[in-house]
Amino acid sequence: MKKTLLLLTLFSTLTFAKLNVVASYPYLGEILHAIGGDNLHVKVLASSKRDPHFVIPKPSLIPSIARAKLLVANGAGLEIGWLPPLLKSANNPKVRIGSEGFLDISRAIDLIDVPLSVSRSMGDIHPEGNPHFVTDPHNVLPMAKLITEKLIELDASHKKEYQDNLTAFSQKWEEFLLTFDKGMKSCQGKKVIQYHELYNYLLKRYNIESVANIEPLPGISPSSKHTLELIQKMKEDNITTIIQDPYHEKKTAKFIADKTNAKVIILPHDIGSVNNTKSLESFYTTIEERLCH
Amino acid sequence: MTKKLILLSLCASTILFAQNGQENTPTAQKAVTFDQKSFLPDIALILDSSMVSRNVNNSTYESYYIPGFSTYDSDKEAEIPFNKERGFNLNYAELALHSTVGPFFDSDAIFHLKPDAFEIEEAYLTSRSLPYNLRTKLGKFRSEFGRINAIHQHAWHFTSQPLVFEGLLGTEGINDAGVQLQWVLPTEDTYVMAGVEALQGNNDVSFGNTETNNLYIGYLKSSFDLTDDTTALAGASILHGKNNEGGNTDIYGADFTLKTSLEGYSSFMWQSELLNRNKETATQTLKQAGFYTQLIYQYDQNWATGVRYDNLYKNLDTKPDNLDKYTAMLEYKPFEFTKFRLQYTYDKSKVFGLNNKRKNSSEILLGVTIEAGAHGAHAF
Repeated sequence: MKKTLLLLTLFSTLTFAKLNVVASYPYLGEILHAIGGDNLHVKVLASSKRDPHFVIPKPSLIPSIARAKLLVANGAGLEIGWLPPLLKSANNPKVRIGSEGFLDISRAIDLIDVPLSVSRSMGDIHPEGNPHFVTDPHNVLPMAKLITEKLIELDASHKKEYQDNLTAFSQKWEEFLLTFDKGMKSCQGKKVIQYHELYNYLLKRYNIESVANIEPLPGISPSSKHTLELIQKMKEDNITTIIQDPYHEKKTAKFIADKTNAKVIILPHDIGSVNNTKSLESFYTTIEERLCH
Repeated sequence: MTKKLILLSLCASTILFAQNGQENTPTAQKAVTFDQKSFLPDIALILDSSMVSRNVNNSTYESYYIPGFSTYDSDKEAEIPFNKERGFNLNYAELALHSTVGPFFDSDAIFHLKPDAFEIEEAYLTSRSLPYNLRTKLGKFRSEFGRINAIHQHAWHFTSQPLVFEGLLGTEGINDAGVQLQWVLPTEDTYVMAGVEALQGNNDVSFGNTETNNLYIGYLKSSFDLTDDTTALAGASILHGKNNEGGNTDIYGADFTLKTSLEGYSSFMWQSELLNRNKETATQTLKQAGFYTQLIYQYDQNWATGVRYDNLYKNLDTKPDNLDKYTAMLEYKPFEFTKFRLQYTYDKSKVFGLNNKRKNSSEILLGVTIEAGAHGAHAF
């Protein structure tokens, strides 16, 4: 018992020197690492193996939120089904929504697909716009800049390090974008269907047309009527690509593929959601390779 | 003639256009002066109704009691909050309001509207800005001891209340006026939370002496991950208060939940709770206890199924100690906020006061629950 207490105090003093930061999703953790380096102690809440809308609000996630000086969230409604009860239980006013230590990263992005009107009859719709902006690598730098500003605001003593890290990261990322854009060229003008509108930011940037979705409405499971209509449409428009995320059921996509001779491409929606996507670069490279080659 | 018309319409459209242009100037005000819409609370409406088939007729069913735990009084109306009638039941419409009062407090109010009653289910303030991971709650609220007591009926995995809660705490559970203080301990990856509550003691099944605030509750909860996909949550609680027979009542509770996530949306959840009560009367100490254990299998986003076993294993010397109940359910959610549930119950705990006979009852129930409006997400 004494030993554990000793270890506990030792551990907490060790981590004390660093800024405790919580990120809702793995990609945010990765950007935080790039900018914050060793000055941060980063804990990622959600696993990228599962649906980002429906993360299980495990109480074991509470202590890290209770300790945090900064919480970085995707925002645009993506965490509404799981983060609020955790925030409430953590009793930490520093990272409460609206306080200095709560960063909604969607503020760095011009959101697309903003609905003109909102009703639950449209399914699980996001009133603020499409929250899945991470699928476009051009959104990474605006997010990194906002994170840098926030880190400087909360931890001015390491201002220079954060700025230098951002400069280095920006340089590296702009180079990466050049290669990425080149790789995506062959995809322009392609027509696809997807399960959920997870990849709209990517598809829009590279002029890939997303014709329809496997789910009839956001958050509603596929129906046979909708699936048959989809097959008809794909045949008419000669669409041969189905984009599927790793976490939804894949039976419907396979069924449609069988009927239309289309190809099902499983694209990661966050880093680590499929094999060999542990870094930001490999995450986007995997998207490009699977979609365009 | 036509020329004149065209001229007129041209004139009209220029005037209209000009007005439109004015409306779009950046100086135009967005909201009406003194408009308070953005301060409106989150409002949610929860509806719960059911269709029941049961092998006991309504008048007999209303006279039921659990021997040793409750009694039948032919002069009093039965307290059966849900699914009372064979056929159709509108159990309740629940109105939930959540709002931030200021920098220091949030407020919540939950109103239960029944066909012939308006109840303040809960109404409380929660602190927003206490340091050291402390939080306090004041008002009337469901005590957070154990697992199921704080959870509203519409979020339960089964439509009916666990037998041990009905037996020891009545159909309302501990839902009382008072204050609460909770503290999240500064641990690394293991969640530890300690809570204390001081309540009036209005629950007259176990307590009920409300000469002054007489009920004190303490609990400790801990949760940790066994693997990346498996989480355990365990809790222990003590309830100490004065009963309306002049003595003290102590209840000791323990709860354990294990949840494993499988691929996609599917998961297993095993949850159990045990309550042990010592109730002093003028002449003796009555010792009673019971537990429930339930297993829920979530198949995908839409389908779930589960079984529960309830048992009151410790009873008064003169009363039966083989009171138990079996429940099974199948749940279908076409959408996140719409739930259909088919539930079968085989109940061996009831004695029917009308004919004073203990009879095993069977019940099949089809329930519908919806959550409309701005309803906050549920905790673990």
